[in-house]
Amino acid sequence: MGGVRAAGWEAPITVAELVNAGPLAGARMYGTGEVQVRQVRIVDELSVLGQVTPHTAVVLIGAAAGGGWAVEMAMRRAWEQAAACVIAPSGGLSAGSGEVLAERLGITLIFVDEDPLIVAVRIASAASRPEAARTQLVARCATRLAEAGPSARRVLGVLNAELPGTSVTFLDRYGRHVAGARPTDRPGVERPGQDRPDLDRPGAERPGQAGPDRSGVERAGVEEAGGRVAVREAGGRSLEGEQPPLRAAAGEPPVAASDGATTDEDGRSHEARGERAAGRGEGGASRGGRGAGARWSAEVEVLDQEGGVLGTLVAVGSSRSPGWPAAVRTVLNLAVAPLTAWAARERLRASRDFALQQALAERLLAEAEAEAEAAPGTGTEHGTGPEPGAGAAPGTTAEDGTGAETEARAETGAGTEAATGAEAGAGTGAGAGGPAKAGSKARMEGGARVEAVALGWPVEGELTGYHVRPTAEAADSPLARTLITAALGQVPVLPRGEGWAGWSALDPGELAARLARGVRSMPWPCVAGVGARVEGLRSVGESLLGAEAAAFVAAPGTVARADRMGPAELLGALPTGVLRTPAAVVLRPLLAVDKDGTLLETLAAVLDEGGALKAAERLGVHRNTVTTRLERVKSVGFDLDDAATRLALQLACHVLLR
Amino acid sequence: MGRVIDRDELGRLSAGSRVFAIGTEESAYRLTLDWAHSVIGSGVELVTAGEADPGTLCVSITLVGSTTALGEQLPAGDEPARAVRALERRLGERAGAVVALNLAAENALVPLIAAAQLGVPLIDGDGTGRVFPLVEQTTYALGGLSPAPLALAGGSGELVLLETPGDRVEELLRPVVLSFGGWGVAACYPMTAGELARVVVPGTVSLLLRAGAPGAPRSAAAPYGVRTLCRGRILAVEGSTGHGADLALPSLPSSIVVQESAGLRRLVRLEAHNEIVLALADGAPVAMAPDQICMISTEGGMVVDVDKAEPGLEVEVMVVRAAPVWHTDRGQALGGLRAFGLPL
Repeated sequence: MGGVRAAGWEAPITVAELVNAGPLAGARMYGTGEVQVRQVRIVDELSVLGQVTPHTAVVLIGAAAGGGWAVEMAMRRAWEQAAACVIAPSGGLSAGSGEVLAERLGITLIFVDEDPLIVAVRIASAASRPEAARTQLVARCATRLAEAGPSARRVLGVLNAELPGTSVTFLDRYGRHVAGARPTDRPGVERPGQDRPDLDRPGAERPGQAGPDRSGVERAGVEEAGGRVAVREAGGRSLEGEQPPLRAAAGEPPVAASDGATTDEDGRSHEARGERAAGRGEGGASRGGRGAGARWSAEVEVLDQEGGVLGTLVAVGSSRSPGWPAAVRTVLNLAVAPLTAWAARERLRASRDFALQQALAERLLAEAEAEAEAAPGTGTEHGTGPEPGAGAAPGTTAEDGTGAETEARAETGAGTEAATGAEAGAGTGAGAGGPAKAGSKARMEGGARVEAVALGWPVEGELTGYHVRPTAEAADSPLARTLITAALGQVPVLPRGEGWAGWSALDPGELAARLARGVRSMPWPCVAGVGARVEGLRSVGESLLGAEAAAFVAAPGTVARADRMGPAELLGALPTGVLRTPAAVVLRPLLAVDKDGTLLETLAAVLDEGGALKAAERLGVHRNTVTTRLERVKSVGFDLDDAATRLALQLACHVLLR
Repeated sequence: MGRVIDRDELGRLSAGSRVFAIGTEESAYRLTLDWAHSVIGSGVELVTAGEADPGTLCVSITLVGSTTALGEQLPAGDEPARAVRALERRLGERAGAVVALNLAAENALVPLIAAAQLGVPLIDGDGTGRVFPLVEQTTYALGGLSPAPLALAGGSGELVLLETPGDRVEELLRPVVLSFGGWGVAACYPMTAGELARVVVPGTVSLLLRAGAPGAPRSAAAPYGVRTLCRGRILAVEGSTGHGADLALPSLPSSIVVQESAGLRRLVRLEAHNEIVLALADGAPVAMAPDQICMISTEGGMVVDVDKAEPGLEVEVMVVRAAPVWHTDRGQALGGLRAFGLPL
């Protein structure tokens, strides 16, 4: 339980903690609740408030809670005394004006339904033993997490419910949101007024008789406008302002303190925090917008079953309590194991799922090809074919049961997959006979095509192939598939070469546009190609080839269209890097005598321009010079009258000189 | 020598009497004004307490009860005279002058009616300098005088004479007024002009005459100064608690929350019990009884009664400073916050 005793664990509990996770759970709180509670004072008469010391939770009873006016006056006087909060029985003051005043004065007001005296006793206990209150929270979270089981959504649900005032997000290793609070959710998560220092409002009243704590908090508020890093320290210091020196150690920025005390893994995540906060891009920026209140964050890395980084749990909050981030970290650590289990299970399912869908797509292509071979020119039959097939689909799934649908599909799929090889082989092997055609059609209707329909894949009508090719190493096929289907909708995704291919019912223009977005979302540098539009699955192979060719042509990060490809694009698609060595071999005899490269340049000019005269103009030399150089080229063994030699030489020049 | 309040002056007096008056009922006010018109004749002489012979018996006249009831159950017309005569019979002495208990709306006119009916002068001054809900809450009482013996005349010919220790008058009076049908005219605080000169808030009748003159500023009706607490919009009107439970005031406590529309945009809470007795701005007390706190409608310029306040109404909250005697310890005890049950 080393983590449980992180630094800050014994720090005085704050008002927000009392309400969020402590003895006041469920009470209505207005204000930020950031002030620490050191003691409790029961106030039955307003005059007593003059003796209240800073960091006191003021519990109003009797005449002091006897009406809205009394509660308002108590709030005012408590504020003047720098009390931690005012706790009043519900009903004494309307929530509306209580909220307004709490915000205006910057003092926290809490309404409780229970007997205020009982509440006071509980607060006194929590204030005197803050670590016990925090341990209670951790115990409750552990129980709830165990109930939640291995589900990222449920785990994050528990974290966000049990750690109110704190926004917990699970980001994958690329920094993308997986579960939990989204940046856009934050307004709802945060408490009203938390990120609105009342200095922002014109005319916030600031009477002169502020308590000792007042100036410190106000100073922190002013610095908040400057920057986040400064804010956190300013917030920490302001709390320490009137504390004895002993407290200084606990008064370090809370997260940093807890990081230092834990393992090296935590230390690493702490170091990474700075750049993360700076480089999180959109999310960071949007948080920054509301970010005046984001005074601390805690991060815990979640590792997958192989020890790689699965993602990061990020908790952000604005509580100034030094103890709260430590408690949050402990709870986050509790969530690591269920998240790892969740990831392992999901990965298993996804990879199995991916393999399945991949096999299905291959089968579709193979069957369509076999069919095309078997019955060329029977396009009309395909138009009617799928109708009964589609009708049969619900029957198939119903048969498999309703429980774990994915599981059921997986099992059926695995079964068919095993059979596919044999069946397809048999189908093609049967040759061009009539029975074979009927057999393959029946298979299409009842098998692969039905599953494809269930998956929402296009199998009829006009189809367009696509190809996505990473230009750097990329191993995460399930992720690629997720991103591609996110961009294109339900389409098959097949591994092809180093990349992925498939087809869509979208027209090439729309497909290219969406693919461009998909390519940008990929974590690796990618290019993509879109094939020509074809009719039916039988011709998709053609379109896929075009798409693959186009992908070769595409500039990094872009999408090229096969139907827009011309000679220039073809030339551009030449794998110059690969051809450079053969080109050098072909031209070696020439290069051996060509000391300064003029012969190669001249040869290229002559071949490009189609004659010595134009070449001389381009090179800016006399025609005879060109002729002389050509003689030297011929002399090392190149027959420029031979068309094949000319083509080869021109290609070699292009590759070498480009 | 004093001046004479004739029909013209009557118009000014009635206008002046409404500037800061709360709890007025339009029909009752009209009725009282008509009543005064019908009896004023050639006018009523207005004298200061010092001008009258110090031995002259002066009687204080006030309307007691609900002005709404007055509008519904019309007076016979002779109530002020009957009340004074009853007191004279008890004292064995003729009243030589009448004086107002307070000068809010109808209560400014009823003493004038009495003076006209009896043919005696009206003293320039009153017993509060503002209005308090209880008959005992007067500068007369602060000066050691008793409201009793008190004669109360009702609209159906009723007449009751109360003779009791001063602090029990209100308690006895209220059920009697109720049984009268809701209102009555009281003649009380019998005293000599010499005593009156000592305890009266002087010059308030002529002050209202000036304040009621066309074009006179509102502040002309406040002898000891008036200030604007805030201008704002009523956010909420709530029932209130925490006013002493054993306190016997004619109405229930309520609370009016006003959001200041400009400046500091403070949250102003007006704690009312019959009248506004405490004003908090962001929880800090900024005005309280015995000063008079009232809401003036921004739109109509009229005083907004506590029970007519409703969310959305734009009001100006003004504080009329009470006569200095109210700010003494004895004055605070009688007309300060604690008198309204607020333990501050």
